[in-house]
Amino acid sequence: MQSAVLTPPADPQAAAVAALDEPAEWQAFSRAVAGGDGLWESYLAIEGMYCPACSLAVEQALARNPGVRSVQVNGATATARIVWSPGPARPSHWFTALKRAGYAGLPAGDLLTAAPRIHAQRLLLWRWLVAGFCMMQVMMYALPAYLAQPGDITPDVQALLGWASWILTLPVLVFSCRPFFQSAWRDLRRLRIGMDVPVALGILIAFGASTAASFEPQGGFGGQVWYDSITMFVFFLLSGRLLEQRLRDRTAGALEALVRRLPDTVLRRNGEGEFERVATRRLVAGDRVRVLPGEIFPADGTVLAGDSRVDEGLLTGESHPVLRLKGNAVVAGSHNLSGPLVVAVERTGAQTRFSAIVALMERASLDKPQLAQLADRIATPFLAAVLLASIGAAAWWWSAGPAHALGVAVAVLIVTCPCALSLATPAASLAAAGALARRGVLVRRLQALESCAELDTVVFDKTGTLTEHCVRVTRVQAREGTTEQETLAAAAALACHSLHPASMAVAAAAGPAAWVASQVEEIAGSGMRGNVTGPGGWERQPMRLGSASFCEIAQGQSGVAKQVHLTDAHGWLATFELDEALRADAAAAVGALQQLNLRVQLLSGDQIAAVRRLAQRAGIDSCWGRQSPEDKLAHVRRLQQGFHRVAMVGDGMNDGPVLASADVSIAVGQAVPLAQARSDFLILGGQLRAVPALLQHARKTRAVVRQNLAWAAAYNALCVPLAVAGWMPPWAAGLGMAASSLAVVLNSTRLAKVQGED
Amino acid sequence: MDILFLLIPLSVALGLLILGALGWAVWRGQFDSLEPEAERILQSD
Repeated sequence: MQSAVLTPPADPQAAAVAALDEPAEWQAFSRAVAGGDGLWESYLAIEGMYCPACSLAVEQALARNPGVRSVQVNGATATARIVWSPGPARPSHWFTALKRAGYAGLPAGDLLTAAPRIHAQRLLLWRWLVAGFCMMQVMMYALPAYLAQPGDITPDVQALLGWASWILTLPVLVFSCRPFFQSAWRDLRRLRIGMDVPVALGILIAFGASTAASFEPQGGFGGQVWYDSITMFVFFLLSGRLLEQRLRDRTAGALEALVRRLPDTVLRRNGEGEFERVATRRLVAGDRVRVLPGEIFPADGTVLAGDSRVDEGLLTGESHPVLRLKGNAVVAGSHNLSGPLVVAVERTGAQTRFSAIVALMERASLDKPQLAQLADRIATPFLAAVLLASIGAAAWWWSAGPAHALGVAVAVLIVTCPCALSLATPAASLAAAGALARRGVLVRRLQALESCAELDTVVFDKTGTLTEHCVRVTRVQAREGTTEQETLAAAAALACHSLHPASMAVAAAAGPAAWVASQVEEIAGSGMRGNVTGPGGWERQPMRLGSASFCEIAQGQSGVAKQVHLTDAHGWLATFELDEALRADAAAAVGALQQLNLRVQLLSGDQIAAVRRLAQRAGIDSCWGRQSPEDKLAHVRRLQQGFHRVAMVGDGMNDGPVLASADVSIAVGQAVPLAQARSDFLILGGQLRAVPALLQHARKTRAVVRQNLAWAAAYNALCVPLAVAGWMPPWAAGLGMAASSLAVVLNSTRLAKVQGED
Repeated sequence: MDILFLLIPLSVALGLLILGALGWAVWRGQFDSLEPEAERILQSD
């Protein structure tokens, strides 16, 4: 399906692509492979990949080119890495080969910056594999010592097994444990006690005592060895870190997919009226650009010509493509699917909505929830107490033999799990924020997720929140012998030449059609007139679209709704009733909120009758009309004085003070100027369904955070005394500690998906 | 029993060798993305 869509005219692009053969050009997205005998590696972002099988097709298309040594395609991030030798290879061939295969390739210079992240991933995986493999091997050498009766193993074989274990523990200690030692050292140098200090200390003491026991069994440290406990502990600890890294990368993935979205080049109209390819960063407001099917919009703007379906999923969470006609706004970062469009650029670079979203997400991910701050504050005294306890325990048990005393000290050091305590909240809120972002809900303050779970009242604003900003055709009356569709299409032929809200409503109701109008004239405030021709026996004739007086017909019955009329040469043809359009999912969202045991209210500055009618349609029982911003503020304050927790849902523009005073503020709507929006949450694309989904997810997040904290606290309260009392061998301590961090991270991953997601 | 003095050092050496092979695979990027590898069997040629 995707490949059929991509049939761009090749000529201007081919010229631009050929420029990529210049070394100065391809070095922007390539670099020399370290130690690779003059080989280069390049990164391409691939557009049009929608399934894992696509990555094979892309790989084949790229690998067939001369000079290409190897190709790796990452389906998840839609990127390709090509290793090639500059002699025979022509980078431009890759792009044409991709196009032939039905995909669009873009040079991705920014991927070079992603290389450190890939390196970090590989390094951690490698540390984890070393620890895991050595653990298995050391277990085998340790096994005979557990099974044999005293005297079964001769001392020389025992020494041999000790040697073998020691050699295989060494890579774990030197390589796999490095992050723990590094961070412990960093903390100690700053005279702080971090989470890795007891861990590092425990590992070092255990290894030191084991080494002494292996090489000098008669020495002062006794004959106890803990190689198996050390390797296992490190392995499980790294398993937790690996999981945490994956979780973070998945959250960051949503962000990165956004960041990499803008195209590098774009077709811009030059002075002679021809389109030429220029770098996106050279665009300025006022430029005309042509965006072909399959391409990404480079800037915010308005459609000047053409109609197409546009996928705004990444920006709004709206999963269905939306129709964009002449006069409609398009946003940077959305995906043009079906037809070429000419767009007048309005905002570029950092001013685009897209950039605002990226900046917001970056800022929010740095926010630290209160509970997490509390956990961090507790951690330092807690860790100091642990260190003291282990020294005390060792001193207490010293009389029972140094081996036992050291074992107790090691157990106390590694059994304590402040990691679980301080991971409990951030892991959960980060996973939740990532999941919500994919659903089209931007979390501006992670903190607000906590208050979100406490809500009992949701107050909606009307215009722009429950309803759309534009009006919509709700009823069509047509002359006998004509169909609603025909009259709508005829009216739309006129209406599409105007930006008046009523015209836009008529044009949107008709969709793309074969009707054309010529000599169109707009009489401001009255209507449009022009000659309209249509298929199916409709001859070219003058038509008028507008108010009753403009169309020279009798005023219809004075209804509640606004009306627009259409006349042709024979007089009245049709009447279109316009009304404020309730968002399609408003009633469903209100119902879902009520099911969550939330009271739903409607506040509006509009006429009371209109508010009541709308509240009825949306299924809201309590509504107030004619509310000034001060009234709204007072209303929310009153609710709060009655010990209600209130969420205010507004469009983020008109209700600043109310939004600020509510416990949680949610902004809905496409028109929100993101940078100025003062709300805790932003729902992109105006899907009200996301409101109940958000509140439900917040409740689930709170439940998970509480489980995590309860688990971590209970675990520490139980295990630390056990270890101090000497009832916990180091292996059990290591297992318990690693398992408890693992449990917290795994529990948090449950939040990585919002319920009710498609 | 004497054979242990040969076998255990041998197993240590073998373990380190396998570890080396694993490292080679990791740094060649073989574990970077695992999904396409599963689809490879569906490839026509």
